[in-house]
Amino acid sequence: MEKPIQDLSALRHAVIEGDVPASVTAARTALEEGVQPIDVISQGISPAMAEVGKLFEEGEYFVPELLMAARATKEIFVILRPLLAQAGSKPMAHVVLGTVQGDLHDIGKNLVAAMLEGGGFEVTDLGVDVPPETFIAAVKKRPVQIVGLSALLTTTMPAMKTTIEAFRAAGIREQIKIMVGGAPVTSKYAETIGADGYSETAAASVDLARRLVAAC
Amino acid sequence: MSEELSSTVAQNGLIAAALAAEICPELALAPLAPAEIYRYLGYLLKGSPAPPMAERIAQVVAEAQLCLRPRGAYAVYPVSRRTAHSLKLGDTTISGNIGEYLKDADRVAVFAVTAGEEISLLSESAAKNGDAFSALVMDAVGSWAAEAAADALMLSVRRHLRDEEELTLRYSPGYCGMEISQQRKLFPLMQAEAVGVRLIPSMLMHPLKSISGLVGLAPKEAVSSYHSPCDLCPRTGCSMRR
Ligand code: B1M
Repeated sequence: MEKPIQDLSALRHAVIEGDVPASVTAARTALEEGVQPIDVISQGISPAMAEVGKLFEEGEYFVPELLMAARATKEIFVILRPLLAQAGSKPMAHVVLGTVQGDLHDIGKNLVAAMLEGGGFEVTDLGVDVPPETFIAAVKKRPVQIVGLSALLTTTMPAMKTTIEAFRAAGIREQIKIMVGGAPVTSKYAETIGADGYSETAAASVDLARRLVAAC
Repeated sequence: MSEELSSTVAQNGLIAAALAAEICPELALAPLAPAEIYRYLGYLLKGSPAPPMAERIAQVVAEAQLCLRPRGAYAVYPVSRRTAHSLKLGDTTISGNIGEYLKDADRVAVFAVTAGEEISLLSESAAKNGDAFSALVMDAVGSWAAEAAADALMLSVRRHLRDEEELTLRYSPGYCGMEISQQRKLFPLMQAEAVGVRLIPSMLMHPLKSISGLVGLAPKEAVSSYHSPCDLCPRTGCSMRR
């Protein structure tokens, strides 16, 4: 029996409130009652996250609220992922993320990881001070659609370029899309170094990643 | 002057030019007001979060505060030469607009402070466990603590003020028209390593939650006319703008 759409309001409400346990319970209940996993996403998670995004833009929500909502959706995706795979849906895109060599800044990259996971992406976080070889090894190990590079200083930004060049030298640049970000980075700089995309904030990185995957 | 420093003074010509120097292994931070953390978390327009979120934040802040190890070091130098774009301390010429900003100071203290590595390790482990929210709040506590450590260190630097003198604003390499590469010149002028702050090749300091900089000792009336350092920064949308 298909469950009527409005019954996902509890799930939407829990996600918007950033209530992780209530979100997981609501998702489980919906699935038990016969709601299709794909509908949990399209009628539950997506409109809830759209509302969260709107509240953020209106200055009602801030990064901590975004993170709690992203955490809630991430936990729901953990339940949905095997069900979607069973149903033969294409697996979610895989993003490898890291702060470039010489840079120790962690938190901006962590926010991007959390928002992408909340957006349904699978994320491998390589940490900080990541040399090009480590990025390359991660891409060779498992299929990766996007590589995300973060840098917080003008002195470490050039390592983004070095990393992109290393991908080229390894002959795998064309397999992946590369997105970059961090306080001193601009879209102009991203273009100059041959990245595929730039986003100013962690929140905007989800849309960017979706666009890049669509272009894959 | 500490014993440890005296030995370096003997070996190190630059530090020998210092008028005074001190290593502060345990700085006492001012009490942490929730509003400070809200500012680091970006609650710029609204001021503070709703009560349930405020409660969640307070819990993480309490845990994070136990991991702070604030310490710092400084050395005071006479200014031996200056132009609008440089400042000479001992034999070291530091370039950047500080020549202009510190024009009224006849002595300058160079300093480094840190909140310690522990707070960053705590934040990192929260992030690894998928708890980006706690990681963010812990990171904010670390940023606050680094700033608070600099404030606390300034209380020690103040002891070197003469009558009718005041400290100027603090200036750091990487800000205020001073290139971050100037870190390389600043570090040999003080004993940052003694408090665990070291410079890595990219000019960043380890631990992450550290600050380096210069502060002038200048006549009171010259200092009172200084503006916020943010007036010099083009990042007008920055949530940390003062
Ligand atoms: C893959 O795709 C993507 C997509 C989006 C991506 C992405 C990847 N990666 C990031 N994003 C984006 O999404 C995130 C969320 O929306 C964002 O990530 P961010 O990492 O940018 O944002 C974080 C979530 C929050 N932001 C931050 O944590 C940084 C905020 C600012 C104000 C800042 C802070 C708080 C601090 N700092 Co300092 N600090 C500044 C910063 C100025 C600014 N407004 O950005 C910056 C980075 N700092 C600077 C400097 C110079 C320094 N800081 C220092 C110290 C400090 C504090 C300790 C006081 C404190 C904490 C440091 C920290 N980050 O842990 C020093 C260095 C510390 C060290 N260990 O070496 C010191 C060197 C100063 C000194 N001499 O002491 C400047 C760098 C300038 C340059 N030339 O590169 C700076 C830009 C400030 C400025 N106005 O000039 C986006 O950029």
